Amino acid sequence: MNAIIALSLFGISNLFLGFLNNRKILLPATLVFILIALGLNFADWNHEYYWFNNMLKTNNLSVNFVTIILLSTFLVVAISRSFGDDDEHSHPAEYYAILLFSAVGAIMMVTFENLIMLFVGLEILSVSMYVLTGSDKRSLRSNEAALKYFLMGSFATGILLFGVALVYGATSSFDIHGIAQGVAKAKEQMGGAYGPLLYSGVILIMVGLLFKISAAPFHFWTPDVYDGAPSIFTAFMSTVVKTAGVAATYRILSISFPSVYGLWGNPLVYIVCATLIIGNITAVYQQSFKRMLAYSSISHAGYLLITVLAKRPETNSSLLFYSLAYAIATITAFAVLMVVSEAQAKNGKADESFEALNGLANNNPLLAFSLTISMLSLAGIPLTAGFFGKFFVFSDAFSNPSSLFKWILVIAILMSTVGIYYYFKPIIAAYMKKGEVAKIELSPLYKFILILTTTLTILLGLAPDLVKNIF
Amino acid sequence: MTMLTDFGYILLFIIAAIVFVAVILFLAKLIRPNRPNEEKLTTYESGEEPDGNANVRFNIRFYVVALIFILFDVEIIFLFPWATVFGNKRLIAETDGLWGWFSLVEMFVFVGVLLIGLAYAWIKGHLDWVRPEVKTTEYESKIPTSLYDKINQKYSQ
Repeated sequence: MNAIIALSLFGISNLFLGFLNNRKILLPATLVFILIALGLNFADWNHEYYWFNNMLKTNNLSVNFVTIILLSTFLVVAISRSFGDDDEHSHPAEYYAILLFSAVGAIMMVTFENLIMLFVGLEILSVSMYVLTGSDKRSLRSNEAALKYFLMGSFATGILLFGVALVYGATSSFDIHGIAQGVAKAKEQMGGAYGPLLYSGVILIMVGLLFKISAAPFHFWTPDVYDGAPSIFTAFMSTVVKTAGVAATYRILSISFPSVYGLWGNPLVYIVCATLIIGNITAVYQQSFKRMLAYSSISHAGYLLITVLAKRPETNSSLLFYSLAYAIATITAFAVLMVVSEAQAKNGKADESFEALNGLANNNPLLAFSLTISMLSLAGIPLTAGFFGKFFVFSDAFSNPSSLFKWILVIAILMSTVGIYYYFKPIIAAYMKKGEVAKIELSPLYKFILILTTTLTILLGLAPDLVKNIF
Repeated sequence: MTMLTDFGYILLFIIAAIVFVAVILFLAKLIRPNRPNEEKLTTYESGEEPDGNANVRFNIRFYVVALIFILFDVEIIFLFPWATVFGNKRLIAETDGLWGWFSLVEMFVFVGVLLIGLAYAWIKGHLDWVRPEVKTTEYESKIPTSLYDKINQKYSQ
């Protein structure tokens, strides 16, 4: 948990490193900072610690989640290429610092023991993301995205806070284990029923968190914000924010409210089905690769929520494996999208449509191959990490005795076949469509990251037990 | 009679506050003289004559200065509760004076973090108010200035 303190200090030192006016030093410095934080994180392995007056708690589950978050942050920073060389309009020191600060918020969201910490972590993460979304100040789309995200995001945070207040009213505790006891006591007093205070509180907390992971029907901001934000920050948003949001949702629902499963389980069934259907069906109609990835991130929120809903003992490791597979594949896809869309820019505007990928494989075999593997992984084709992610999630749902899960599974499997259609669009464009993409020069670090993520995706697809045993 | 919960007291406070304000305003309306004139009805602007519309755009730099001001304003708010526990005689006696040093260091850490923020804003140049720089044109006329002087002399008589 010293990672939180270390990352905050590193963020501040990053701000001051920016005054050296040396772009070359920032990228390696940030990577080293994240690696140090990762090392500090592993120090908590196999212990159950309470931190800061019972505000945070670390255990193996939280260490694993923090590892995924820091790994995603590392990969995103590694493909950032120092944010170009436009000295006047881009501020790499500030961007890196904000990325580190938002990682702090994400870590708080997976380790919180007190709802106050959940709120603080969520706000650190969200406010950083509002700023980064609008960081391309001269682009109208980026400004629009930042404003939309800010208005809707702060509204959602308000709803979450209202829920926290109501739950406090019902159980007189902010502590997540204290709430669990309060809920059990309230249930006992009322003879198995639960009062309107607890009911509305739990629902409002759920709404606030589901907004952040963009589950339908709270997903309306996602396509515009993901599309408008600079690609590098979209990659960060769709991996780190999603992982932290799902982990926080799972943590509060599984620890505080397991005894009132019916209260949050029933609405969540509809939310999962709606998320799967809306995310996948709408993604089919997209012309822009980036927008398609936004809808794909909505649909993956649906798959992740299935296992939260199934509430099995294996849910922990399934969530972790799915998040890891999804994060690696998504970052690879964005890495390819970034360089290709810049190389295909028309009138100074990056081209993010599927047509930009036409004929990619002729001159850039590495980019095309990485793209293919990441798309296969997102679609859940065997021999990639995504297949086992889906496999674990679906088997969780299958082993739940309730017959309702058979129907959820039917929808989920139908929707992943729909997914295969749109995930193959970029592959077909890269290998079969006629087009010309000039050879794109990649830095050694960029190449290394592409090879690393692709290898990891295949490796986890061949031998999922490598990490499944740890999780 | 049932006991009030803690939230009940808060509700009573809210009701009492609303009733109090309403009663006082109503009483004031009953006993005060009512002689409005134009001066009394204008907007109060520290004795200045209000001029123009209030709905104009402010320079963005006002916000940066306001933000830094708020930062230190909030710092003062945190210093007040700290000051009450810092000089707590019982705690100091119990810890042989260690408590005083501990709380002093804690507060220096807090102020130090804020100072780092100020230093950042300073180096970034957010504290420099832009002065309008007069740009002189670099055009050099082929006509010498003495010519103008001669013309002035010639026609001034």
